[in-house]
Amino acid sequence: MTEVSRRHAAAESREAQRAAFFAGVRACVVFMPSYVPFGLVCGVAAVQAGLGEFGALALAAFAFAGSSQAVLTQFLNGGAPLAMAIASGLVVNLRMAVYSAALSQRMSVTTRKERLLWAAFLVDQTFICNEARHERGEHIAHPLAFYLGCAAVIWPFWIFTNALGAFAGAQVPPSWQLEFTIPLSFVAMVVPMLKTRSQIGAALAGAVAGVLFYSLPMKTGLIAACVVGTCVGLLVDAVQKRTQGVTP
Amino acid sequence: MSVWGSADGWIAIAGLAVGTFLIRYSFIGFLAGRRLPPPVARALQLAVPAIFAALVMPLVILANGELSVSARYPHVIAALIAGGYAWWRGGMLMPLLLGMAVLHAILALT
Repeated sequence: MTEVSRRHAAAESREAQRAAFFAGVRACVVFMPSYVPFGLVCGVAAVQAGLGEFGALALAAFAFAGSSQAVLTQFLNGGAPLAMAIASGLVVNLRMAVYSAALSQRMSVTTRKERLLWAAFLVDQTFICNEARHERGEHIAHPLAFYLGCAAVIWPFWIFTNALGAFAGAQVPPSWQLEFTIPLSFVAMVVPMLKTRSQIGAALAGAVAGVLFYSLPMKTGLIAACVVGTCVGLLVDAVQKRTQGVTP
Repeated sequence: MSVWGSADGWIAIAGLAVGTFLIRYSFIGFLAGRRLPPPVARALQLAVPAIFAALVMPLVILANGELSVSARYPHVIAALIAGGYAWWRGGMLMPLLLGMAVLHAILALT
């Protein structure tokens, strides 16, 4: 390659990287309304639990996981021992191990720094956006740029909503039902991914099990439901293989 | 209470933050670049719809942890219409707007 064509290729790659980043930004802007009600609640709860306004900010920035923040502050408020409050919050986040495992299979060659970045911004929304991107086969050359585009929207906005709750005690009127945008956004992401009977079976079984196990403590029902749904999906795989001799 | 909170509070924040990061990094750190055996990889693929369905369903049909048709049927209809639209046309914004519009229309009319 000549120096000119090499420089040309590098500029093209930078351009593609930038396109991937902004595609990630666009993909995640729509999640913003769903962050508002929960972020405010988490900010208020953190201050009430005695973390202080800046503690609330730090919690949002560095834990960056709403349900576990809520569980942690709830336990602290209830006077639970510190270790118990932390452990309970962590159990809520165990589903992220599933995301971590699924994501690891999407990576080929990565540096340690890249792996740290993938891990740092791993939440429900960034994960499912990346799965959808992978499914559509977009930005295959720059998955991390797309992912960081998602994170560039979601992470600061999560901190911002928590800060509004912590410093201003802001609330959204319950009658707006803004928190309902959380399940709606996941429905919109996941439904187009359901293409095979096995996936549909896994989703239906997961949905039913998710409701049945909902009352299990610290959202462990979610993990149980994930196992049930996965097993049903694998069962559908096996049945299809046997009756049609086709691989899914 | 000061804006900086208590020392215990900061231990709790650090504990949750570090622990959560370790969970996030767990398999990415171990497995990145390594392929799992096909059955395990297949199970992981199916775990994604299963876990998201399990996340979504209680948020749609349960009111304060209780199954309540009269309280939640507007949400069920809204989610079905949003899901139907997403299946038909894809996208994110339209299913969201449609779902919220349907929900508020039903709540306003009943």
